[in-house]
Amino acid sequence: MTGDVTTNETDARNVRVARRPGGGYRVTVCAGTACVFAGSLAVHDAFVEEVQTAGLGDRVEVSIIGCHGLCSMSPVVVLSDDTLYGHLRPDDVGRVVEEHLKGGAPVEKFLYRDAQTGVRIRDWHEIGFYKQQTRIALRDVGVIDPESIEEYLARGGYEAARMALTEQTPEWIVEHVTDSGIRGRGGAGFPTGVKWKFASQSRSDEKYIICNADEGDPGAFMDCSILEGDPHAVIEGMIIGSYAIGAHEGYVYVRAEYPLAVKRLTKAVADAEARGYLGKDAFGSGWELNLHLKLGAGAFVCGEETALIASIEGKRGMPRTRPPFPAVSGLWGKPTNINNVETFANIPWIIMHGADAYAALGVEHCRGTKAFSLAGKVVNGGLVEVPMGTSLRHLIFDVGGGIKNGRQFKAVQLGGPSGGCIPASLLDTPVDYESLAATGAIVGSGGMVVVDDETCMVDLARFFLDFTQKESCGKCVPCRLGTKRMLETLDRIIAGDGQAGDIELLEELSHYIIDGTLCALGGTAPNPVLTTLKYFREEYEAHVSEKRCPAGRCKALITYYIDAEACTGCLLCAKKCPTDCISGERKQPHVIDVSACIKCDTCRQVCKFDAVKVRSGIEQAVVTSGQKA
Amino acid sequence: MLGMFKAMRTTLKHLPMRKITVQYPEQRERLPERSRGLFRVVVDPAGGEPRCRSCTLCESNCPVQVIRVNYTSKYLLPVPNAARLAEARLAAQPGVDLKPLQPVLDDYYEHGTGLIAMLQNAQEAYGYLPRLAIQEISLQTGVSLSQIYGVSSFYNQFRLSPVGEHIIDVCHGTACHVAGAVQITEALEEELGVPDGKTTSDMKFTLSSVACMGACSQAPVMRIGAMTYGGLTPDKTRKIIRDLMHEIGAEKG
Repeated sequence: MTGDVTTNETDARNVRVARRPGGGYRVTVCAGTACVFAGSLAVHDAFVEEVQTAGLGDRVEVSIIGCHGLCSMSPVVVLSDDTLYGHLRPDDVGRVVEEHLKGGAPVEKFLYRDAQTGVRIRDWHEIGFYKQQTRIALRDVGVIDPESIEEYLARGGYEAARMALTEQTPEWIVEHVTDSGIRGRGGAGFPTGVKWKFASQSRSDEKYIICNADEGDPGAFMDCSILEGDPHAVIEGMIIGSYAIGAHEGYVYVRAEYPLAVKRLTKAVADAEARGYLGKDAFGSGWELNLHLKLGAGAFVCGEETALIASIEGKRGMPRTRPPFPAVSGLWGKPTNINNVETFANIPWIIMHGADAYAALGVEHCRGTKAFSLAGKVVNGGLVEVPMGTSLRHLIFDVGGGIKNGRQFKAVQLGGPSGGCIPASLLDTPVDYESLAATGAIVGSGGMVVVDDETCMVDLARFFLDFTQKESCGKCVPCRLGTKRMLETLDRIIAGDGQAGDIELLEELSHYIIDGTLCALGGTAPNPVLTTLKYFREEYEAHVSEKRCPAGRCKALITYYIDAEACTGCLLCAKKCPTDCISGERKQPHVIDVSACIKCDTCRQVCKFDAVKVRSGIEQAVVTSGQKA
Repeated sequence: MLGMFKAMRTTLKHLPMRKITVQYPEQRERLPERSRGLFRVVVDPAGGEPRCRSCTLCESNCPVQVIRVNYTSKYLLPVPNAARLAEARLAAQPGVDLKPLQPVLDDYYEHGTGLIAMLQNAQEAYGYLPRLAIQEISLQTGVSLSQIYGVSSFYNQFRLSPVGEHIIDVCHGTACHVAGAVQITEALEEELGVPDGKTTSDMKFTLSSVACMGACSQAPVMRIGAMTYGGLTPDKTRKIIRDLMHEIGAEKG
């Protein structure tokens, strides 16, 4: 199975939902987090019911799948003839069953609509979002029923682990993984093969293997989707890893905020144990691996490996100095190897298809693919996987389909609180560890939040700093106090009390924090501020010197008003205003009483004619003084 | 010369005496059981200025959190004893039944559940971590009360005071923030009459914010109990919460 695998074979086109024999349909309802939020479970129940009522019970099978990827169409339903329906309500299900499952004609209304051409696309393989992807870690996510081990086996699951355990030596695996060039997908990008080699060379009576599923970055949900959509791939990767390094005990450290992932993983572990893939004598090879689930208790810093180990030991999750590295002295003082969910999910594929096939993808120092969660103001948000080295422009405009509501692209935030914002001028930067680091951002775990011209960059930087400030464990003074002082400075700037020198103060503090902290949380905490300062300095300056928010988001610096020419006098805003500060007669332009306005933004959101506008800076000062007079 | 002899005399005088120092940390002096010492700020004898620089290192590292650094300029305000306050607050909790804790402890004895998992299970049983339950866990496992308190105050998940019947989690991940999660929380604060993180006085609702629920494409989102809501606007949120409050007969404030 090694050797000449072309990229085509891993292409999304070839990821097909297994067809049901006998010409019947298989209806798969996406049960990823976003789709569940959008009510996909009710849609699933409606399908089961409608299919029964229509008497199609023997021809149509309804099941759930993990995240299919196109979260912006939630809830997503995929039929076995590759039709993708989105935005389905339980009430619409009857129509789909009647017209499509019975009549054979797709229901146009719920098909994907291309934002640019306006054309409806039936086959999801033809949608730009899927066409541009190469799925390896996500190969089975959104294809199989995550709660069924049979479906995973039917797609060649556990073959890699069986082969590795029964036919290969640990050295062969380590070498193979090293040759594939895969680097840690958790963010730091340390070569996985090297890490495994260190762990395998440590001598000890007991070793541990840990899967880091404490995906704390706000705006990232790849690990969540993999665990929810294909938990067996992670387990299989861990089995192979445990054999390679010689560990008999494994832990999966999952965020407690992902209840669905925990539930499916628990079931997957039990199923694998029942089939003899885990526990004593795995695959009849004599190898033993016991897998345990550890639930995180809500601390971002526990994504850092030494903090994670402390947390598993039942302590406060505070990072410690390295060396000794976990590969030498980790959990309970024993050699420990920690990898990310996505890294483990890649391993079975690498073992099956060969290191060369994996190394053929990507660019020089960054081989293979990387999953990203594309979110924010982008048309096609969701779960994507592309080869390393793909440009940001390609990801956002070709895969993501551009910016929502025809607005302007402003920046993309990568890597969450440890990452940075990349402006439009750097959109051609390839996505790999080194190129992104050069811009000041990081690949990170893969969260990618696109923001449009309505987002204030100072406010965004403040948001991340507020997060790291709250999540700082408090061990290192520069991180604990430095982020607090930076946050206070940013609060001052946003409140319109910024003083000359504040921007320089932010820069100075940032450098102290980077130099003076122990772990990556502190060392990268100022990144959002530094990158926004680097690329959007004029916005900071506008806040400080002109008391103006160019994006019109910072409450203290803006005033709402109604454009008399655009207002049709529909009274909608006046009705919705929670403080009743909008007055006006029907068919007459309305007026906002600025003194009573709480700037809740409701009026602007409900107005259908874009008549509610925002003023900031000098304009605002003139209006306010005029009102007073 | 004379100084040297004086020093030698002192040394010789003390040589046959009983040692009054111990080789800390290899040897530990036995302190009275309830001894806890007292804190005070060292004042520089020369300038009269306190040596404390308010770095808050002691505050955040104290395992039992008995230190509080007040941000006043000249130490004018009396600092309330945080430990006493916490004690009083905990004592004010209604009588706690220890029965629901039994399965948690059984689990510990049978499977060796770790401390964090035990606290999670205990919180599942009570909705929060009552002091009595923590004490019981400490007694049964031998982990000191201060360590348990240290752990339970470190992680966001643990709550030391009772929560409302319905917990409202508003997502404040990046995508939700950009889509206006702040306005959602503000709308809820106004409708419920309590600030973020607090519980209404009729114990019906607790308003809280979480980092990211992973439903970014539905941003902004919130979760009330098992119900999830996506694509919110302040207006929609007000309607949802008003309907719910009406349904269960909850009062504002």
